[in-house]
Amino acid sequence: MTTLAFLLTESLNALSQAALLFFLGVGLTLIFGLMRIVNFAHGALYMLGAFVGYSLAKGSGNFWVALVGAPLLVGMFGAGFELTVLRRLYRRDAHAFLMVTFGLALVVGEAVRLIWGPDALQVAPPSALAGVVFLLDEPFPVYRLFLVATGIVVAVAIWQFLERSKLGLLIRATSQNADMASALGVDVKRIRSSVFGIGCALAALGGVLAAPLVTASNGMAATVIIDAFVIVIIGGMGSFLGSLIGALLVGFVQVFGNYYLPDLALAFMYLVMLAVLVVRPGGLLGKET
Amino acid sequence: MRAVTRPILIVVMLALLLAPLGLPPFAMTLLTEALILGLFAMSLDLMVGYTRLISFGHAAAYGMGAYACGWMLLHTGMPLLFAVFAAALLTGVIAIAVGWMCTLATGISFSMLTLAFAQLLYAISFKWTSVTGGSDGLAGIPRTSGPLGFAALSGKSGFYYFVLACLVGGFLVCFALVRSPFGAVLRGIRENEAKTTALGYNTRLYKIAVVATSYALGGLAGALYAPFAGFANTELLFWLLSGQALIMVIVGGAGTLVGPILGAAFFMLMEHQLSSLTEAWALYFGLIFIAFVLFAPQGIWGLATAWLRRDAKAS
Repeated sequence: MTTLAFLLTESLNALSQAALLFFLGVGLTLIFGLMRIVNFAHGALYMLGAFVGYSLAKGSGNFWVALVGAPLLVGMFGAGFELTVLRRLYRRDAHAFLMVTFGLALVVGEAVRLIWGPDALQVAPPSALAGVVFLLDEPFPVYRLFLVATGIVVAVAIWQFLERSKLGLLIRATSQNADMASALGVDVKRIRSSVFGIGCALAALGGVLAAPLVTASNGMAATVIIDAFVIVIIGGMGSFLGSLIGALLVGFVQVFGNYYLPDLALAFMYLVMLAVLVVRPGGLLGKET
Repeated sequence: MRAVTRPILIVVMLALLLAPLGLPPFAMTLLTEALILGLFAMSLDLMVGYTRLISFGHAAAYGMGAYACGWMLLHTGMPLLFAVFAAALLTGVIAIAVGWMCTLATGISFSMLTLAFAQLLYAISFKWTSVTGGSDGLAGIPRTSGPLGFAALSGKSGFYYFVLACLVGGFLVCFALVRSPFGAVLRGIRENEAKTTALGYNTRLYKIAVVATSYALGGLAGALYAPFAGFANTELLFWLLSGQALIMVIVGGAGTLVGPILGAAFFMLMEHQLSSLTEAWALYFGLIFIAFVLFAPQGIWGLATAWLRRDAKAS
């Protein structure tokens, strides 16, 4: 394998990893930016997305149904949770959220184990994406290219949604100053429910897309929640662009770290985070210290 | 409030002292484990309840203590009595570095950093097989005797009393700490850190000190667990345990020291009662936890003391 081909395939691997991480991180950061809530259940919802996706794909025999259906269902579940539980807590301090969403993570984790059993489940990618392509004479899975493309599409879509759409404008206004937005007639409650739902749906999208690569397993929640937190801490809590940069950084560190220093790959991610925190305690693009 | 609760504490203490005389071996095992978990939860309360440093990685303290103690008992033949305290001390010393690192951030980022550190240790415990035994963990950890032929800790009730003594000792240390001027600064940090800094306190140093103390006591609990169970494995470093400890603190009553011990006992009781009834016990426990955060943030002990106080006032 030539050096160039190696760098190309590994970089694409890193990009596909970053795409999955981005779906997680951007939801977390959107929710945080709007409500100052750290959603600890984010990893659990990612896992729920993977398992719901598994059932939908198996039931319908079509991966694309899962890809649309699982985020929709999990997003609705998230919005429902905001409506029934989180809404009671806005007057309390931030730690109440952390603990309630932690409770949700436990409940969802257990529910998944009870419903789908303890074993990891294999999800097949759609047949159109199952093969490999040759890049500089090296085989590369089409599915990973598809992940990169989806990541780009979703990132651009969210960016445009936040910048151009009416709801995006209201979300940005509410993030800046919820009281002021409310005084100007914005239905802040509805904005909060919808953003929490959207964030959960994005996590589930990540889960569905990750399932063909890593199988749907009970352990996936714990692993990814840490990655997601690292991303938003590096990028800066509440920053959309920060979550993108964080995801890219972590994706590359994970993939190249795994290749060059397999034993230290995990530590490497934390070292990057620590270095960022020492220089900028609020994260690269964070406003708070 | 203290006048009301003191008689209860004395009765409970007497019951715990007499427990080995009346309880069957199975119940003794459960009780010993509950006391160890109680010490663990109480150590977390120093951070969570008194300083509002919400640690999501307290399993790090427990696991470090357990692995350190287990390794010393297995490989050095050190007396149990010394190994337990050496492991706790080691955990406390390492925690100074952890505290330094984690207090770079505040609030939610602090929680994430504690979690990240615990997960790092969890990953290390798999990789550093020569010391940790990898995914098998350390097995066959003995309850060594000594010094000078002192063998009382090897037996079941001897070990129970040792655990009880550690819990009471830990409680007295924490109690003295939170009543001291040091504790007043911690509460200052909890209520308004900016104000406390403005009063001239170096809050970061106080936070590092409380993290180290909390980890040392959590490490003591872990160090007791290793010879109690006879093994130390990666589960002891897993984030699930950190979460369970947090649940014990909140459900029991944060910022009360007694509450988290009660919370740990309640957790053990639920685990054993519910798990025999339904496979989904952890699910119900999660729901109970959510209900406590929503409707009774003061916890079991907070509810109980409020009720007792009202009772005392009425009479």
